[in-house]
Amino acid sequence: MDLEEIQTVWSEMTDQLEKQKKLTTELIMKMTQERYRTKFDKITFYETIGAVVCFVMALYLLVNINKLDTWYLMACGVFTIALLLILPVITLRLLGKIQRMNIVKNSFKETIVSYTKTKNQLLLMQRVGIYLSFVLMFTCLPVFSKIMNNKDLFLLGKIWLTYIPVMVIFLLLFTRWGYKCYKNITNSAENILKELET
Amino acid sequence: MGKEESFTRIIKENEGLIFKITTIYTENGQDQKDLYQEIVYQLWKSYDSFRNESKISTWMYRIALNTAIGQLKKRKKQSITTSIDQVVLRQTENYDTEFEKRLKMVYEQIHQLNILEKGLILLLLEGKKYEEIAEITGLSETNVGTRISRIKQKLKSRILKK
Repeated sequence: MDLEEIQTVWSEMTDQLEKQKKLTTELIMKMTQERYRTKFDKITFYETIGAVVCFVMALYLLVNINKLDTWYLMACGVFTIALLLILPVITLRLLGKIQRMNIVKNSFKETIVSYTKTKNQLLLMQRVGIYLSFVLMFTCLPVFSKIMNNKDLFLLGKIWLTYIPVMVIFLLLFTRWGYKCYKNITNSAENILKELET
Repeated sequence: MGKEESFTRIIKENEGLIFKITTIYTENGQDQKDLYQEIVYQLWKSYDSFRNESKISTWMYRIALNTAIGQLKKRKKQSITTSIDQVVLRQTENYDTEFEKRLKMVYEQIHQLNILEKGLILLLLEGKKYEEIAEITGLSETNVGTRISRIKQKLKSRILKK
């Protein structure tokens, strides 16, 4: 099928569509109203819930930070709090950037460039987030153990003997899978960006 | 004429345009309905900013294509699209089987193009001149010409491969 044939079929379809007008005034306004109501239940909703959980945890750690009585527990605590605050903020900001894109003023090219760049940043952030969350598992466990049970896990060697190997295996499998998915998505996006920016 | 009245008139006149864009930028019925509704909503939202500086169709293509890009990969959760069912599902009911087959082939060809090429081919098939395609896409006229001839070659090479 070449472009001329495609053109013929397209024109025929356009004619048919012209003949069968389906929309009514009532339906159009109903559509916009429905959309307005469902605008907030998108991906941002889940990210916001996640962010709130992180902030509450960070607040809990901050309030109890004085219970971390050694330098290494304090270091783990500060690292955990920083991650719980920074990661969700960056993710929400990037999601907001996508939603704030000016579709009225931007041209099609600008929208593609801006959307693809932000999406790549978001994917990179999610990837970094996956790696950091594994580090977080190592740091938050002794911190919460100390705050909630007053036990210093670093002095109890046994638990690390099982915890570390299990986590490393899980980390290796998970990151290999994550990297493959990430690569596939960003490769096609990168191609479009390169094409548009040359 | 009130805002609501003039807006609905424009949408009614151009419903085919929205339908075609949603068809080339989505892979299934639910996504298509979702995008259709999102485009109508975005057009309504930006209707106040439309000041007749450009042709109504240029404005509509721009908003609709930009919305389609923003909606890609975003559709993780099914939204409420009840009212749109009766529009999108009924749109093809009058086609005969032979035509539907040919149309399916057209969509297959278009779906294999990337997001930018899809937009360009759509505008070309809609009979837009390079000048107007350039205005909508933000590409230069020469660039539009080069890219369109690349798309033609791409389509041709696919036919030869088959």
